[in-house]
Amino acid sequence: MNEFEQRLRRVPMKPLPAGWRAEILAAVPARPAAVRGSWAGRLNARLHDLLWPHPQAWAGLAAAWLVILLLQVSQRDGTPARAEKYVPPSPEMLVELRQQEQMLVELLGPIEVRDADRSRPAAPRTQRMCIISG
Amino acid sequence: MPGPTSLERLYDEHAGALFAFLLNFTRDEADTRDLLQDLFIKLAREPGRLAGVREERAFLMRLAHNAAVDLMRRRAARDRTKDALAADLNPFAPADDPDEEVFRRELAAALGELPAEQRAVVHLKLWEGLTFEEIATVLGLSPNTAASRYRYGLDKLRGRLRPLYEEIQ
Repeated sequence: MNEFEQRLRRVPMKPLPAGWRAEILAAVPARPAAVRGSWAGRLNARLHDLLWPHPQAWAGLAAAWLVILLLQVSQRDGTPARAEKYVPPSPEMLVELRQQEQMLVELLGPIEVRDADRSRPAAPRTQRMCIISG
Repeated sequence: MPGPTSLERLYDEHAGALFAFLLNFTRDEADTRDLLQDLFIKLAREPGRLAGVREERAFLMRLAHNAAVDLMRRRAARDRTKDALAADLNPFAPADDPDEEVFRRELAAALGELPAEQRAVVHLKLWEGLTFEEIATVLGLSPNTAASRYRYGLDKLRGRLRPLYEEIQ
């Protein structure tokens, strides 16, 4: 630090106003929970009071739960029961399914035609009636 | 959990330095008071904040700096006239010697002309005696940035105060 810096450093800063101490500390809540009027604030305060005395113990417990959860997930993925759940359809079943699909198409086909006929204008029917009567 | 007693201890040990830093940074005594009060209210509400902190002063300076930066951002958005007044504030103790008083006023004005972040580095280096590593931690910078800001700031102060400084010597 050179001479100029030393010179600046010797200039004292303005002192803290004496009256502020009482004012500022009086504005500080006596208990953390006292200033927390909201439900979330009170819950947060309760949790803090509960967890804070032994944060490492709680962190250890959380880590243990995490390990248990991970083990559970990894085991579930590899279980035979889950593997058995998915059975690929056999060729016979596929043929059966196709036949059922075909049958459904056939059943639905005439209905669509009938619906289409119903929506047609009445003129052709009159013509057919004329042919029949003629 | 730190109760009122430990808050009082924190106040007695650090409020003076926090006040000087905040006053020099914000250049506004009312803002400084609000920031200091908010800081202690925050510490009372969240007593865990200081758990495991080795350097209380540096940690509190960091909290104070962050709060001051937020305040100045809000102020910049709504009130530009305050910036003009900020340069007039003298964060130094009054001196009995008239020459010294002039020097302190000039120094205050020169500091007021520095960008706030440069002023913060200069303050922490000169009046808190922190290393660049410590300043970097407090202000959330790299040590190199802290050092370069200090050099720029000091050069500006030197340029502005040289005639007066040489006269006083």
